[in-house]
Amino acid sequence: MAEDGSLPPRASIPSGDNSVWADVSPLLQAACQDLQEGELIHGDNFNLFAAMSALEIMDPKMDSGIACTYYSLDEAIENGVAPIPISADKTTDVRCMIDIMDHLLACEATWHKGHSLAQTVYSCLYLLRPERTSSHALLHSYCKVIRATCKAILSVVSQARTHEEEDLFTMAYGLPLSGDGDEKCLSMLNAVEETISRQLRACKVSSSKRRVPEDIEPLQNNPDLEEGYCKALLCRLRFRKHFYHLLMSMKRPQGRGLELARKHIASCISEIDYIRKCSEFLRANAHGISEQNLDNTTASGCQPIGFDASLNCRLSAPTPPRSIKIHSWEKVNLNVVCSYSLDPSLEAALLFVVKFQKSRPDLVARAHLQLLLVQDGKLYGRDPMFSMITGAAGLPGVTENYDFQKNEFMVQLGQLVINLLKILCTNAAWQRRKLGKMLQDWHVTYVQLEMTFKGEFEEASKTSNNKQKICFKIYQHILAWVEEQTYWIAFRFLNLGFELELYSVHDYCMVYWYIYVVLIKLTEKKHLRMAMSSDSAKKKTKKKRDSFKDGEIDYQIPAAVMFLQSQIYLAEGLSMMFAALRNECRIVPLQSPFNTEHEIFIQQFELLQKACVPDHISYVSFKESTMHANFSTLAICDYFKEAQRIAKEVKSSFANDPDTMAELCRVEQVAERNSIALNVCQAGALDPKLKISFTFCHHPFYATAIVKRS
Amino acid sequence: MDRDEAETMENVEFDASEIEYVSYGGEHHLPLVMNLVDQELSEPYSIFTYRYFVYLWPQLSFLAFHKGKCVGTVVCKMGEHRNTFRGYIAMLVVIKPYRGRGIATELVTRSIKVMMESGCEEVTLEAEVTNKGALALYGRLGFIRAKRLFHYYLNGVDAFRLKLLFPRSELHPSLPMMADKYESHMQSDHGDAPFKE
Repeated sequence: MAEDGSLPPRASIPSGDNSVWADVSPLLQAACQDLQEGELIHGDNFNLFAAMSALEIMDPKMDSGIACTYYSLDEAIENGVAPIPISADKTTDVRCMIDIMDHLLACEATWHKGHSLAQTVYSCLYLLRPERTSSHALLHSYCKVIRATCKAILSVVSQARTHEEEDLFTMAYGLPLSGDGDEKCLSMLNAVEETISRQLRACKVSSSKRRVPEDIEPLQNNPDLEEGYCKALLCRLRFRKHFYHLLMSMKRPQGRGLELARKHIASCISEIDYIRKCSEFLRANAHGISEQNLDNTTASGCQPIGFDASLNCRLSAPTPPRSIKIHSWEKVNLNVVCSYSLDPSLEAALLFVVKFQKSRPDLVARAHLQLLLVQDGKLYGRDPMFSMITGAAGLPGVTENYDFQKNEFMVQLGQLVINLLKILCTNAAWQRRKLGKMLQDWHVTYVQLEMTFKGEFEEASKTSNNKQKICFKIYQHILAWVEEQTYWIAFRFLNLGFELELYSVHDYCMVYWYIYVVLIKLTEKKHLRMAMSSDSAKKKTKKKRDSFKDGEIDYQIPAAVMFLQSQIYLAEGLSMMFAALRNECRIVPLQSPFNTEHEIFIQQFELLQKACVPDHISYVSFKESTMHANFSTLAICDYFKEAQRIAKEVKSSFANDPDTMAELCRVEQVAERNSIALNVCQAGALDPKLKISFTFCHHPFYATAIVKRS
Repeated sequence: MDRDEAETMENVEFDASEIEYVSYGGEHHLPLVMNLVDQELSEPYSIFTYRYFVYLWPQLSFLAFHKGKCVGTVVCKMGEHRNTFRGYIAMLVVIKPYRGRGIATELVTRSIKVMMESGCEEVTLEAEVTNKGALALYGRLGFIRAKRLFHYYLNGVDAFRLKLLFPRSELHPSLPMMADKYESHMQSDHGDAPFKE
C-alpha cells in the first residue's frame, strides 16, 4: 500500500498498443441486477470455505489500510514519529530515552506471555531501520542489544518446539532481527556504559567541588539532574547486559552454563531493584504531570516516543499489546530453571517440571527448561535415557551393555520418556491433550515389552544362566515401572482438568471417582516397584551379613505409598460425598434435553478408556459404586478421617522434603474440613436450609466442602 | 465464536411469547445476521464466511424477532470430521437489551435439535473461557469442556472447546424417550444448580 514515489499520484496504467482501457462499471451494475437473490458468479474451483479467510476492504476489523496511522515506515519517520535525536534538548533526550527503554521492557514481557513480536517489541520504530540510529550511540547500542536478545529468544523457542498453537510467538514476518554488527552488541553497550559511568563519577566529583573535570562532557545540561539520570540509565543498561549474558549461558550444552546463569539472573534482579528505586526521581522530573498514569509502562508515567503498534499490523494478527506494568517484570521463571541441580534421576526431573509448572511460567522459561532437560536424546544432554529408566525402575547399578537395550520396544520406551519430558514443559492446555493421547502409546509399549519379556522368560527357563536371570530381573523392574508411569500420566491428566477449569460441578463425582480408581492402580504399581527394589537391596545386604543370618527384617510400607493411600481415601470420600448429595437430592442433577450422564462420562474419560487405564472400568462400574451412597453410611466409614489420619502419620517421613510436606498439609486440611462438613450434612439431613458449596482454596484439585445455612 | 453475556442493564420488557423464532429464509435475512454478529463479536468475519454457513446449511441457522426487529441469531454447520458426523455452532448472538431471557437457549436448542435429527453424533463449538454466560448456557444443555485452547482468540484469550455427545442408538434403544424428556425440559427451564463452585 506504500506509494511509490517514482509514479505520479493516481496515475492510471496507460493503454498499450493492442489494448484500450474501458470503464465497465455500468455493465457490471446491469449484470448484477440480472442475478437472482443469493446467486454468485464464480469460477469452477471456487469454494466458500476457502474464501472464509478473505479480508474485506473498508471493514475496520480486517482492512489494515483503514486502521493505519501511517501507510509505511518511511512516512512515519518523515512525520517525526521516531525522531533522532529524540530531542534537541539533551535533558529531554535522556528522559525520553529512558521512557523508550522502559516501554521496550514492558513490550518484551508482553511478548513472552504469548503476544506477537511485531505488535510488542517491534512496535518500536527505532528497531525497524537498524542503521538509522547510528548517530545516537545510546539509542543505537540499546536497539542492537534488544534485537540480539529477541533473536536469541526466538532461537531457543523455535528449537524447543513447545510453541504448538503458540506460532504467533515465533513469527518474525521479515522484521530486522539482525542489524550490521548486532553480534557485537555487548562491546558497544559496554562502551556506552563506560561513558555514562565516567559521567556519573565526574558529576559526583563536581558536586564535591574539589575540581572541575574538563575532559568529560556531561550526559545532559542540568547539573542537578545529572546523577539521577546517569544512575537511571546505568541500571537499565546493566540489566540488558546481564540478561543477554544469561541467555548465552543457558545456551551452553549439558547445563554447563547454569552456574554462570545463576549469577547473571541475580544481577538482573538486582538491577530491576535499582530501576524501581529510580522511579520516584523520574516521576518527579516528568513534564506534564497531569499526563502521569501509574498504569503506564514507563517509570516516569509518560507515554514513550517512537512506538506505533498499528504500523506492523499488516504483518501479523491485529492484536494490540496489553499494557504491562513494569513491576510485573520479573525473571522468576528463568530463575527457577537456573536453580535446578541437574539431579541424574528421571523421577527428580519429572517432579521438578511439575513443580515448575505450578508457577505458570511463560513460554521463554518453559523452552529453556525443555532444552536443559533433553538434548541429543539424553537427560541434560549427558545421561542416556536407558540408564535413567533402569534407575527409575529401581536398578541403579545396571551399567553393563545388555543386548535388550537395543530392543526396538526399549528404544521406543526411551523415546516415550523423551516425549513425556518435552510435553510436560508445554503450556497446560497443550500438555493435557498430549498426555491424554500418549497414554495409548504407553499402554501399547507395555504390552509389547511384556510379550518380549515372556519370550525371554521361556528361553531363560531352559538355559538359566546367570546373565539370563539378570535380564529377567531387569525386565520385571522395567515392566513394573512402565505401568506405574502410565498411571502417573493418567493422574496428571485428570488433575490438569481442574487447573484448566474443564470440569463443571456436575462432573466432580465421576472425576473424583476416576481419580480414585487411577490412584488405586498407581499406588499398587508403586508399591510393587518399591517392594522389588527393597528385595534387591535386601539381598545385597543379606550377602554382606551372612554371618548374622538375619533374614527377618520386617517390611514397612513406604511413606510414598502411604501418601498415595491418603489421597485414595480423599478422592473416594469426595466422590461419595457428591454421590450422596445427588442421591439425597441436595443438588439438582444436570437435566440436559439432549444427552445423559453416560455420554458425559464417555467424553470425559475417552482417552483413558481407549488406553485401558484402568482395564475393565466403565460407566457401569461408576454407577454401581455410587448409586447407593448416602450420608448415613458415609459418616460411619468416614474416608476423610482415614485420609487425615494417614497424612498425619506419614508426615515425619518427609521432614527433609518441604514440597511433599506442604502437599501433605494441604491434603490433611481438606480431609479435616470435609469430615466436619460430612457430619454437619448427616446431622442436618432433613434441614432444607443447609446449603453446601465447594472451594479449591486449600488444594488445587481436591475440593473443600463448605456448609452454610441459607 | 460466540458471546452471550447476560446483562440486566437496559433490558427490554417483553413476554416470551412475543419472540418469534424463524429459520434462515434467504438473502433478505443475511444482512440481519451480519449486522448482529459484526456488532457483538470481536472476531472479524468476511461476507464469504456468512455465505459459507447459510448457503450450505440454511436449516441450521435461526433468527429471533421481537415485533419485527431481529434481536438474536445462531449460525451452524454440520459435516464429517474424522469419522464423526459433527455439528458445529459457529456464531450465537443476542443483543444486550434482550439478554438473560432464554432467547439464546431457544435459538441453540432449535439448531441442535435439527442437527440431532439430521444424524449428527455430536455438536461442538468454542467459547471464551471468560464468557460465563455462554459457558452456563451450554453447560445446561449437556456440553462438556473437552479442551482448553491456549491463546485461541486474536485478543489472546483462551477458549474452551465445548462438546455435546448424543446418545448412540445401541446404548439407548428408547430414543422416543429423549423426545419426551425434551418436551418436559421445556416446561421447566429454570433448573440452575442451587450451589456455587
